[in-house]
Amino acid sequence: MSLPPTVRVWDPAVRLFHWTLVPAFVIAYLSGEEVLDLHVLAGYLIGGLVGFRILWGLIGTRHARFSDFVRSPRTVREYLRSLLSGRPQHYLGHNPAGGAMVVVLLGMLALTTLSGMTLYGAKELAGPMAFLAAYPVFASDWFEGLHELCANFTLALIAAHIAAVLISSLLHGENLVRAMITGTKRSPQHE
Amino acid sequence: MSKPDLGLVSLAFAVAGTLIVAPTLSVGEISASRGAADWVRQESGPDGAPRSCVTCHGEDPRQPGRHAITGKPIAPLAPSVQPGRFSDPEKVEKWFKRNCTWSWGRECTAQEKGDFLTYLRNL
Amino acid sequence: MARIHRVTALAAVSVLGIAGWVIGGDRHEREDEGRRERQRIFVDSRMTAQDPTYRAECGGCHLAYPPGLLPAASWERIMMGLGEHFGDDASLQTATAERVGRFLQANAADGNGWGRSARIARSLGGELPPLRITDTRYFRRHHEQIPPKRVLSNPEVVSYGRCDACHPAAARGDFDEHAVRIPGAGPWDD
Repeated sequence: MSLPPTVRVWDPAVRLFHWTLVPAFVIAYLSGEEVLDLHVLAGYLIGGLVGFRILWGLIGTRHARFSDFVRSPRTVREYLRSLLSGRPQHYLGHNPAGGAMVVVLLGMLALTTLSGMTLYGAKELAGPMAFLAAYPVFASDWFEGLHELCANFTLALIAAHIAAVLISSLLHGENLVRAMITGTKRSPQHE
Repeated sequence: MSKPDLGLVSLAFAVAGTLIVAPTLSVGEISASRGAADWVRQESGPDGAPRSCVTCHGEDPRQPGRHAITGKPIAPLAPSVQPGRFSDPEKVEKWFKRNCTWSWGRECTAQEKGDFLTYLRNL
Repeated sequence: MARIHRVTALAAVSVLGIAGWVIGGDRHEREDEGRRERQRIFVDSRMTAQDPTYRAECGGCHLAYPPGLLPAASWERIMMGLGEHFGDDASLQTATAERVGRFLQANAADGNGWGRSARIARSLGGELPPLRITDTRYFRRHHEQIPPKRVLSNPEVVSYGRCDACHPAAARGDFDEHAVRIPGAGPWDD
């Protein structure tokens, strides 16, 4: 009996989440005070997407769950070493390094969104955090700088993420970008 | 003095008196110098504060002024510096009404308005 | 974790963060330059004083304020009390007053749900509609960082009501905080 040529890895929800997040972040990053309404809308969308992903990471399909890909730092190191040694360990879902990136990215996106909503509430007296208007510190320039720092750090992470996906794809000989679109990967070869 | 002499002396006094007094009579006459004097004259506005044209337009109407409350710069009033000033009678009346009321607590008389316009147009 | 790995990880994260910060900061500055020089891409018509009658009648003593800076109820209060307009008699002829009033109502802050105008309107609670833009919570929050003497004791400004003294493009409805230049003090440095 032959194995099916492809196997389903990423469910539609994970894929839709991922590819909606990309334009949402781009729009949020590029729009600013000049088109604040658009920026805020994109920010809310990102917040909702991140919220969904966290929930899905707890109750979703096999490879979407955090338990599938969140690994100890030692495992992450081992995986990275295996990449460099030329005999990369293969994981069907997120590899340990990718898993770590997911966690950090979700965290930074959440922080960026939260700091943004705080700023919006305190400075523009708008949005769900408008009650923070009583605390002018959240409207201060340094807090705005904090929001910008979070956004820029997230951008840096995204750059690293893209690089890592490309490197991983090369080293494992599989197209990880296509996998995130179609949801399928080539069946794993028996070791 | 004989009657004829008394008559001549009276006439002389009358003529001299008329020539001396008449220039000071203001009825029906427009005077640029009176306009200049009125420019700096302070009276009380409706709230009791002392004001004059100078308060907003400055001592020299050829220079820009500044609104005393809002701080908005006001272009010079003198047509020699700011062409087009006083060309619209409606506008002139509107601003006279507002500004005389605010500065002097009352509307300006036709003569005062004439004096101001002559003064400003001659600058 | 061995020490060298901790150090490497920390260094990698720091480099990423700093790179992001630098790239972002640079982009922000270049964006500011662009904003100062060019027209806004997107203009909210309520934030401009488009009506020529309004500009002529209400722009003589102060800036013809963009109607989008106050809610309709505030403009109504002001139009009802023109005879006692902040210590001055600003009465208008009936036809003129009606036209100005219609323009203000049509472009007031609470006219629709987006933009800075909407945020100004929504930030007002159930209080009496303010007569002064400078009395709105939104205005206060955005100007509380400025030392008052920079405005009040500044002969080039004099009053907080002189928006265009520090916001050069105020008449175009552009109050971008990155384009603020306080006379005598230069660009407002965040």
